[in-house]
Amino acid sequence: MNHLPAPVASMLRRLRRRLAIGVFLEVWPRWALGSLLTAGVVAIGCRLFAPGAASFLAWLWLAPVLAFIPAVFLSASRAYRPEEIAALADSMNGGQGTLLTVLEIQDPSWSNSRAITGLSQFPLPRLRVSRKLGAIVPAAAFLAIALMLPQRIPAAQNGVLANDIAADLQATLEALKKQEIITPAEDKEFQEEIERIRKDAIEKLDASSWEASDAMREKLAAKVAEKQDALKWAADSLAELAAAGDSDTSLSDAQAGELGTAIDKLSKAGLLANAPGDLQKLLGGKGAIAGGKTQLPRDPATLRKLAASLSKYLAGRSGELASIGQLGKDAGRFDPSEFPLFSNERGPDGDGDPGNGGINRGRGDADLTWGAESAMSDRFKSVPLPPGSYRSPDDWAPLAILPGAPKESPEQSIASSGVQYAGVTGQAAVRRTLAPRHYSAVKKYFENSK
Amino acid sequence: MTEQNKSLLTPEAVGNAQARISRLVAGLRQVLLGKEDTIDEVVAALLAHGHVLLEGLPGLGKTELVKALSRLLSLDFRRIQFTPDLLPTDITGSHILQERDGRKDFVFHQGPVFTNLLLADEINRASPKTQSALLEAMQERRVTTFGETRALPNPFFVLATQNPIELEGTYPLPEAQLDRFTFKVDISGVDRSVLEEILITRVHGEPPVLEPVINATQLQELFTLADAVFLPRAVANYIARLVASTHPNAPEAPVHVRNFVKYGSSPRGAIAIGAAARGLALLRGKPNVGFDEVRRIAGPALAHRLVLDYSAKLEGYNGRRIVAALLDDVPEVERGLPQTLEAR
Repeated sequence: MNHLPAPVASMLRRLRRRLAIGVFLEVWPRWALGSLLTAGVVAIGCRLFAPGAASFLAWLWLAPVLAFIPAVFLSASRAYRPEEIAALADSMNGGQGTLLTVLEIQDPSWSNSRAITGLSQFPLPRLRVSRKLGAIVPAAAFLAIALMLPQRIPAAQNGVLANDIAADLQATLEALKKQEIITPAEDKEFQEEIERIRKDAIEKLDASSWEASDAMREKLAAKVAEKQDALKWAADSLAELAAAGDSDTSLSDAQAGELGTAIDKLSKAGLLANAPGDLQKLLGGKGAIAGGKTQLPRDPATLRKLAASLSKYLAGRSGELASIGQLGKDAGRFDPSEFPLFSNERGPDGDGDPGNGGINRGRGDADLTWGAESAMSDRFKSVPLPPGSYRSPDDWAPLAILPGAPKESPEQSIASSGVQYAGVTGQAAVRRTLAPRHYSAVKKYFENSK
Repeated sequence: MTEQNKSLLTPEAVGNAQARISRLVAGLRQVLLGKEDTIDEVVAALLAHGHVLLEGLPGLGKTELVKALSRLLSLDFRRIQFTPDLLPTDITGSHILQERDGRKDFVFHQGPVFTNLLLADEINRASPKTQSALLEAMQERRVTTFGETRALPNPFFVLATQNPIELEGTYPLPEAQLDRFTFKVDISGVDRSVLEEILITRVHGEPPVLEPVINATQLQELFTLADAVFLPRAVANYIARLVASTHPNAPEAPVHVRNFVKYGSSPRGAIAIGAAARGLALLRGKPNVGFDEVRRIAGPALAHRLVLDYSAKLEGYNGRRIVAALLDDVPEVERGLPQTLEAR
């Protein structure tokens, strides 16, 4: 540029600087945008998974500043070459080409021409950075929001609550075990289930965790109720036996069967596992009880003795089972009154037996009745349909014709207007009518031709 | 193949050339009133050794312009009125059996094409066979008959006219023929003030009598100077991008080209722009071509070289409008300003 007038060379240098700034501002916002978004993602990641990094997250605001470094290198590699600067200067100054020529040929004879000297005053391009920098604002907002997110404490809190739930269930189970109500097999099953509930709660603690806990309590309650039923059955059988009277008379088959069933149920419920030795002996030994193969003695006197021993034993067990309803209340979340199995009292709606009103779970041996049902003989009786009739189009008449409805025009519904004329005059090509939707195109075509 | 000189014309040489050309332009402006742009285009094409197709309605001065040009340049001038029954030999000339020295022999009689300035009036009225007789003459400046090739006088220009209406019985020029014209100049109507001037200065409509202002030697010097006008590489790049963008399949083709152009310009289009821009630069007193000359020349040089789609006709687009859109879409400098800068 030595042979150019000084003002022109100065102007070109200013243009070069302006272009360099323009290139940098074209490059840097993209890097800043990317760095802010990355910082935002990092901040979210730390908020979720790295509580220890919380105190350092504010440093993420330096990300756009760090983006300066690659942006500067990239801008330098994309800098305008001198001939590109000259071409831009020439183009912005009217496109005379003289500056390009002088620089390319290095001929000073035209250096002072008006086309060259005019280049000392042309307006430099204006910076328009608002649109580019505007894109950074949402990214900065994203980072700000990410930093404002509350820090998540991932597993510790869940663990505490999960252990609480498991501890409550464990306490209930321990109380049942202490009173020898739960068999070892049932104990193992319940322990596994409590552990599963605890693990699930650690992984994801929500309403389903409490629901699982409640279900577990209900299951325990059902188990206790089953044992209570067995006790009640046995107590009823013994009461019936006592009412039979004389000890010398032999028991009827029904009474013996009822007592046998009661003892089977007690055995299956595990309530005889810790029975006194004499009672176990009368029932055939510990092995028979464990295997569910108890045998009633045939001798009426021995049978009476068995009944007396069983009554004594069951009296003690009933007291233990009566206090079992308190277990759920101790846990704080389980109200035994919600479960009628624990309640021996009759509700306001009746005693719960079928036919006596009230809402209950029903009995397995109750009849299934569905209300007024048709007689068996009438169930598949055929019913003839009324005779049908064909409807004629003449039966229909328009009530009203709305404006805009398509008009009936059978003459124009012929498939092709060419066909319409082809057979008559043989001038299908020249008399072919034009579809209305093509009118405007053809009209425009010929209008433009004029 | 000749490469352009790496030296600039001196200001004096350019000044002298501009003075001569200005006399020519002034003479033409006396004949064709109010058509300064048309005259500049014709003179630029002339300095580029190019042929010109003038298209306009009857009575707008097309023929008068060519006749005035021949008078001002003191060149040999012939006129052919193209008609449907015109034969190729009516243009090129033919061999006639002739007795010479007691011996009969075929003697070649030159046709009207053997001239410096050929006015092909209403060229589209002749048959394609006759039109094609001009192909070799226009491109290679020679004529071949009966296997004998004869060079045409130097300089040789064809200035053809055609009428855009009354198209019945005409034969539109084929693309190959159109491509040989450096420019297709559209001559539009004149405004009221020009009509008023015509009425005052010309009683019976005759143009003023003109005297030659440039002789053959001076014209050759002008050709030499026009060829020496410098074309900067950035401007050549602009011409190349402009012509490449006329092809609808080119990646840089703007939307108008993709929608309305079937075939783009041939390389002759780029050559024509470069040569005519040199002529225009000399006419403007410049030693070099600039972006501005290219923009000025692109329309008449490219419009007739584009083969348009039928949809262009339906949408009211012609070649000139496509080129105007092209000039808006293709930036002068290949690497424009960054998006963060705006030219004022």
